[in-house]
Amino acid sequence: MLSMVDMRTDVEIMLKDIGMTYKTSTNTDVTALTNVTMNIHKGEFVSLLGPSGCGKTTLLRIIADLLTPTVGEISVGGESPREARLKRKYGIVFQGAVLYDWRTVKKNVMLPLEIMHLPKKDCEERADKMLEMVGLKDFAKHYPRQLSGGMQQRVGIARALAIQPEILLMDEPFSALDEFTREKLHEDLLRIWRKTNKTIVFVTHNIQESVFLSDRVCVLSPHPGRISALIDIDLPRPRTVEIKSTPEFTGYVAQIRSSFEGI
Amino acid sequence: MDVKKLKSRLASVTAVLYPLLFGVVLIALWQSQILHKLLNTTTLILPLPTRILSVIKDNLPAIAADTWATVSVILPGLVLGSIIGYLLAVFATNSPRFGATGLTIIAAISAIPTVALAAVILQWTRDVSTDVDVRSYVMKLIIVTVVSVASMTLNAYRGLTELKPFALDLMKSYAAGKMTVLLKLRMPNSLPYIFTSLKVSVPACVIAALVSEYFAEKITGVGRRIRECILQAQYSTAWAYIVTACVIGIVLFAVLMASEKVVMRRRNS
Repeated sequence: MLSMVDMRTDVEIMLKDIGMTYKTSTNTDVTALTNVTMNIHKGEFVSLLGPSGCGKTTLLRIIADLLTPTVGEISVGGESPREARLKRKYGIVFQGAVLYDWRTVKKNVMLPLEIMHLPKKDCEERADKMLEMVGLKDFAKHYPRQLSGGMQQRVGIARALAIQPEILLMDEPFSALDEFTREKLHEDLLRIWRKTNKTIVFVTHNIQESVFLSDRVCVLSPHPGRISALIDIDLPRPRTVEIKSTPEFTGYVAQIRSSFEGI
Repeated sequence: MDVKKLKSRLASVTAVLYPLLFGVVLIALWQSQILHKLLNTTTLILPLPTRILSVIKDNLPAIAADTWATVSVILPGLVLGSIIGYLLAVFATNSPRFGATGLTIIAAISAIPTVALAAVILQWTRDVSTDVDVRSYVMKLIIVTVVSVASMTLNAYRGLTELKPFALDLMKSYAAGKMTVLLKLRMPNSLPYIFTSLKVSVPACVIAALVSEYFAEKITGVGRRIRECILQAQYSTAWAYIVTACVIGIVLFAVLMASEKVVMRRRNS
């Protein structure tokens, strides 16, 4: 099922035999990931799906250069993850929005731009543009605590996109939100993705979410964390909520669910 | 919403009202000498409030001068000590290996009583200046400074290191350097902790300043007057200075609380 040879030339992220072993406090080895081999293509929306302990977040952090794998090769646009990180190719959206309480919404979006030493005027303009894109133009002067969870996560997305990254890495960004907010953000995310053409790697434990959003779902199983299936989602785009009641959609959900049986 | 507002307003009223009521009752018991019977003491040792007030009124210029002598030690000492404490916290944050040890040492030093500290620092400052005014001032300033260092270091260290999950990862993903992390993340994050520290160190500095005056060569300041008056059995004057010391403490603390409210208002809204 895992094709070792990828004929496509537009590979953005190349993972080869990635493995990650932790040492616990009792000095025993725990294998978080093993034999992860896959390519992610430019502009592709890939979900890393699996139950807790399957290493999906570990894999995302390895791509983001927040962790170094113990074995295996990884390249991002032909470079090492570290080079890619230092060139600010990654925009990351975390599970909690990780906004800074002391900054307004707009100032939060401007943060990475300030760190990049962009002129103040450019920072402001770009932040305004990003906030408009995520529909929070009117909340620029609010403080994070004044916003709902969904709105905070939109700010997180605006901030991640502000640095104009090539790759958007999202670590269970919507898992803390209610169903209605989540569905709205799904549609918004797909709209933004279509507009910006980013490569997106999306970590989730929600099967429906992964099917709805992705071009491809990478199913991971735990103990040790490994890829158990790579499933292409051939659903038409643009996708709307209605697609969730089609037999094709439920078929994919069932297929993925069955791949978890026996774990 | 309105009920909530009303409730919170009521809470803020009662927050002032109850202590005030307590104070009024206490003063009434005091003035009527019921308090003296309860405490089994005399009006010589515990003068009546009216008597204390009239002493304050009669000695206003002298009390004002002593108040200035004390406050001019407290404030610079507090500021200096807090700055040193904060810088130590920054240092501990940036070099974790020294950090843990350094903090333990600072916590240990802070446990030394002011009285013991004062005697040692008096020795050190003997040769600082030939001017007794300068000598005494430096000695008192050092004591107040030392007292305020530890609480700032320990609290600020928490503020600089206890960050939201992923806040550091976020900075790393922006390829931010150590200095940027310090300025954009750690320092703003430590702001509420600075106020926590000051809430401890302001009262501590007031007491340290009063005690340091006991040991100073020059006889000046509210604390020293309390001691001198008690030694000379001038209890009414002593109590006038005790009231002054209370007022200094309360005013400084009130200013601190007010500035915290102003500074933190936006974050907590």
